[in-house]
Amino acid sequence: MLVQRLWLNDFRNYTSVELSLSDGVTAVVGDNGQGKTNLVEAIAWLARGSSFRGATADSMVRGGCDGAVIRAEVVDGQRTTLLEAELVASGRNRLQVNRNRVQRQSDFIGHVRATVFGPDDLVLVKGGPAERRRFLDDLLVDMQPSNHRLRSDLERILRQRNGLLRQAGGRATPEVLSTLDVWDAKLCEVGEELAARRVALLAELEPAAGDLVNLLSDGRSALNMAYESAWLEVGLAESLVGSRSDDLRRGTTTVGPHRDEVGLSVDGMPARSHASQGEQRSLAVALRLAGHGVVTSHTGSDPVIMLDDVFSELDPRRATSLISLLPDTQTVVTTAGDLPEGVVVDQRVHVHDGVVST
Amino acid sequence: MYADAVQKVIDELGRLPGIGPKSAQRLAFHMLKSPAEDAVRLTDAITDMKDRVRFCDRCFNISEEPLCLICSDARREPGLLCVVEEPRDIVALERTGGFRGRYHVLGGAISPIDGVGPDQLKVSELLGRMDAESVTEVILATNPNIEGEATAMYLARLLGPLGVEVTRIASGLPVGGDLEYADELTLGRALEGRRRLAGGPDSENGIR
Repeated sequence: MLVQRLWLNDFRNYTSVELSLSDGVTAVVGDNGQGKTNLVEAIAWLARGSSFRGATADSMVRGGCDGAVIRAEVVDGQRTTLLEAELVASGRNRLQVNRNRVQRQSDFIGHVRATVFGPDDLVLVKGGPAERRRFLDDLLVDMQPSNHRLRSDLERILRQRNGLLRQAGGRATPEVLSTLDVWDAKLCEVGEELAARRVALLAELEPAAGDLVNLLSDGRSALNMAYESAWLEVGLAESLVGSRSDDLRRGTTTVGPHRDEVGLSVDGMPARSHASQGEQRSLAVALRLAGHGVVTSHTGSDPVIMLDDVFSELDPRRATSLISLLPDTQTVVTTAGDLPEGVVVDQRVHVHDGVVST
Repeated sequence: MYADAVQKVIDELGRLPGIGPKSAQRLAFHMLKSPAEDAVRLTDAITDMKDRVRFCDRCFNISEEPLCLICSDARREPGLLCVVEEPRDIVALERTGGFRGRYHVLGGAISPIDGVGPDQLKVSELLGRMDAESVTEVILATNPNIEGEATAMYLARLLGPLGVEVTRIASGLPVGGDLEYADELTLGRALEGRRRLAGGPDSENGIR
């Protein structure tokens, strides 16, 4: 899968950009604050339908404009697809595939797949459970775009269920309970399915990530990734019954896939608290790379790899190992300084104050 | 910024669904420029509609009489009831020409975040119709989204014990569509709801 051309209008600090991308390695060079990461964010938006930095549509639209446009020409095997996304500062985004309007985001994402390595990746190891759940769910969407539906359905059901719990104000009237039964049944349907897919994904990720950790740190340590869930064993339906009075009192859903965690441990010790900073970095990179491998094996083609200012965070030895491990596919690297040895650049793009020159 | 009278119109128009501040402004200025009789015709049409149109006493469809045209139509099959969210869903179903029973409009779907629970919908009225009209089958035709499905499930649990047959409209592939473009979920539903065309252990029409 290749992103061949990219156009941006009123996106972040770009007024208008047209860029052809090499099918090898493109280096995006520029000082800090010039817009390098914004290019990465635009491509990643096409893959996810959201910002990898967690930004709202509003903040991605250039100041004073109504909307931003991301347009890309994507080649996958013999097929060329034109993707167009208009991000509206307030309101619904407009999405087009080959000039045809699509209503559902799940019909739009999946044409572009992207693996982004960023300076914040350390949160995969050091951050809260939500970061790791998001990591898994993003990969599931990359593997199969329709998984997006599962994820958004879960969010919606939880919002509705929590809304009901809050309105009940701790009083379990027969009306509340009978409606709650319905939301519980819906939550089970979607939640069990999502958790099963996460568990299956984890089983594929664990061995790959384990090997990569060792390659990146030339060590021999055993990585363990465990899906930790308070309900999986007894089933969600039963757990929801058990936690119902608690849920009613707190006005929120206290059990379910939105509370699950991926426990990372190295040689039996939790990575979050016991691994060194360097080991944590290796682990974060290994997780991204393993995810990339899983998506590639499921979709039959490599996602575009984007390394956003990663080398400033890695010591030279780890940077060299990462480069040697990267698959030979379309890659975009952003950097403020020199690239480490071993990176063979096919195309160099300079970014200065929202203007791109090649 | 504008004269009070203009601002008032902009504010009122801006309260309508799908109309933002910019559109409201454009509409207001269009009305300001157009002849006075156009404005009178519009306001008359709106007041006339509000005066004459009400909700059907039985099914809560829009109506100009106490009973709507469908409820007062004697050729309609009694005992067969189709439950929908909004009156406009009736219009859509009527266009198929394939339904000969009567309707019941809930007035929305269960959605706690919008403050809509069973009490805000015409649910008790629906239950009241079961005996009064000797209903034998209820077709749940709420939207196939999260809230519509939840509403259907809620009603099914309520109606089931009353001994009426409760069915849900099928969801699946659009007619004239291509299989390859169907999303996984829709295709999955279409497979679940497949129909037997020939053969098999019994001669029933449905396979489920």
